[in-house]
Amino acid sequence: MGFRHTLIGAALVIFLFYFGLILSLFYFIGGKGFWDAWLNSNTLYSIRLSLVAATISTFLAILIALPSAYALSRFEFIGKNIIDTILEIPMLLSPIALGAAFLIFFNTPMGKLIQEKGIYFVFEIPGVILAQFATVAGLATRLMKASLDEISPRYEAVARSLGSSPWKTFYRITLPLSYKGLLASGILSWAKAVGEFGATVTLAGAMPGKTETMPIAIFTALASANIEKAVILILILLLIGIGTLYSVRFIGKGYRYD
Amino acid sequence: MIKIEGLTIRLKTFEFSDFNLAIERGEFHFLLGPTGSGKTLILESIVGLHRPRKGKIWIDGKEVQGLPPEKREVSYVPQDLALFPHLNVWENIIYGIKARGLQLKDYESYIGDLISITKIETLLERYPARLSGGEKKRVALLRALASKPKLLILDEPLTGLDPSIKFEIQQLLKTLHSSFRPTILCVSHDVEEAYLLADRITVFIDGKVEQVGTKEEIFLKPSSNKVAQFLGLRNLYPVSTVAKDPDQRRWLLGVNGLLFSLPMPPDHREGEKLNLFIRPEEVMILREGKPVKESLKRNIFEGEIVDFMDRGRYHLVHFQSQEGNLLFEIHIPNYAFRNLDLWKGKKVRVALREESFWVIRH
Repeated sequence: MGFRHTLIGAALVIFLFYFGLILSLFYFIGGKGFWDAWLNSNTLYSIRLSLVAATISTFLAILIALPSAYALSRFEFIGKNIIDTILEIPMLLSPIALGAAFLIFFNTPMGKLIQEKGIYFVFEIPGVILAQFATVAGLATRLMKASLDEISPRYEAVARSLGSSPWKTFYRITLPLSYKGLLASGILSWAKAVGEFGATVTLAGAMPGKTETMPIAIFTALASANIEKAVILILILLLIGIGTLYSVRFIGKGYRYD
Repeated sequence: MIKIEGLTIRLKTFEFSDFNLAIERGEFHFLLGPTGSGKTLILESIVGLHRPRKGKIWIDGKEVQGLPPEKREVSYVPQDLALFPHLNVWENIIYGIKARGLQLKDYESYIGDLISITKIETLLERYPARLSGGEKKRVALLRALASKPKLLILDEPLTGLDPSIKFEIQQLLKTLHSSFRPTILCVSHDVEEAYLLADRITVFIDGKVEQVGTKEEIFLKPSSNKVAQFLGLRNLYPVSTVAKDPDQRRWLLGVNGLLFSLPMPPDHREGEKLNLFIRPEEVMILREGKPVKESLKRNIFEGEIVDFMDRGRYHLVHFQSQEGNLLFEIHIPNYAFRNLDLWKGKKVRVALREESFWVIRH
């Protein structure tokens, strides 16, 4: 077997590995329990909660990630390297450890004060959003920084010399040039939030009809041997994943004006 | 008028201090120096993109070193032009007018003139991705000039262009400058570019201003060896004063035993080490049998033609003197080359005019 065939064979093995895995899900589609699980109010609630919470957490993450990414991409300042490193922590740290860290924080005097005077997070829906936010904010910042890095600062320098304030330059030059990359970053971050499990289950718990997101529902469905429900939720997550990948590819990177 | 005083820049790998520059209104000024000499940092300091450690910058009497770029009225054309790819040519051109909150109708006729000079009437709807290299340059120049800045800064405007486009942009820069008289500071390492376009030149080498002057002063009378070497001047020889010429106003300068007779300033001392620059265009190859003017007789040398080549606009001839084995580069017009009937190894005599010498004192 030649060099080329060996390598293509390796790619084929990977494809068959994942494809077989997905195919196995269809073994459980169509049974009586399958349609019951579909119409179950808890299943529908999990889907709705996951989508809404992920949208809110991603929106909040972008609010902070975009300016942070711009600062990290364009400016030199003391502590820049430290911030850059900390952004990677949610990506490297086990999500359960992240969730546990939140639980511990909300047991400190400051954490208690936040919960008493502000919003209750532990075992509540805001906890779901907070856990997703924590997992996604670092990633969103990283992805957006990469998009902004692709835009030469020279455009901004020229715009400033032509009389544009920094805000106007960002709005009229940087944003239009990088919006595709930024949009793709947002979509990827949202997909990551939808799939978040560890930090959410630790901080917000796994209460059906309250804090049970889709990934948590898969876990609890399997724990109670409800395979049909797990299959449905896995397929939905799969569809979201494929949709995300396609939309990111469709948006494309960078700018193209002819 | 643009004035810079005591500009000091200190980076991790690079520093210079006490840089001064003055540009008159309407002047085309070149900041000329080798690549990596810090010219771009000076330019960025004037634009406001780099905060210098010390120093003051005035633009039309207003101190600007503390102002952000948008308040300085300095337009900047970087080497890569940075035309906004998401805006078409027209939107690029009027960007500065809109950004400064100016009324477009006040600038319409001026911009119309600029458009017709730069010949981009048919390109206004196009996006930069669909422009050729030369068209992009023209649009970038027009964009920078459209809002009538107090200073236009050009960073290596002709670097990396094909010869035909280079010539076209050179001509355009000349026309734009003579038509509208904008004050221009052009940063470049290209000596020829500076010679063709500059009113005045500042030569900046190794973080230091070596010479400021008109192009004639810079090219014909370089103030130091560094300037002469940077300009690529040939026929540069270290000489020492040998003796006073019998004619008391003149001195004999020697290199390898070859003696040149030159008038020297009164403060000149015997034994002083100097550098002698002989301008290749001013050296005459004498035709046999032709009478020689009295003034030329002081500096006539015998030798032979070592090599020659056609450089298009002139012929470059290498001459080696019999005494001292000194190699001269001589530029002679093509018609003169044909009349002289030169070949390699031919014995000839050369005469050096008074104007062919320039003495660089250490």
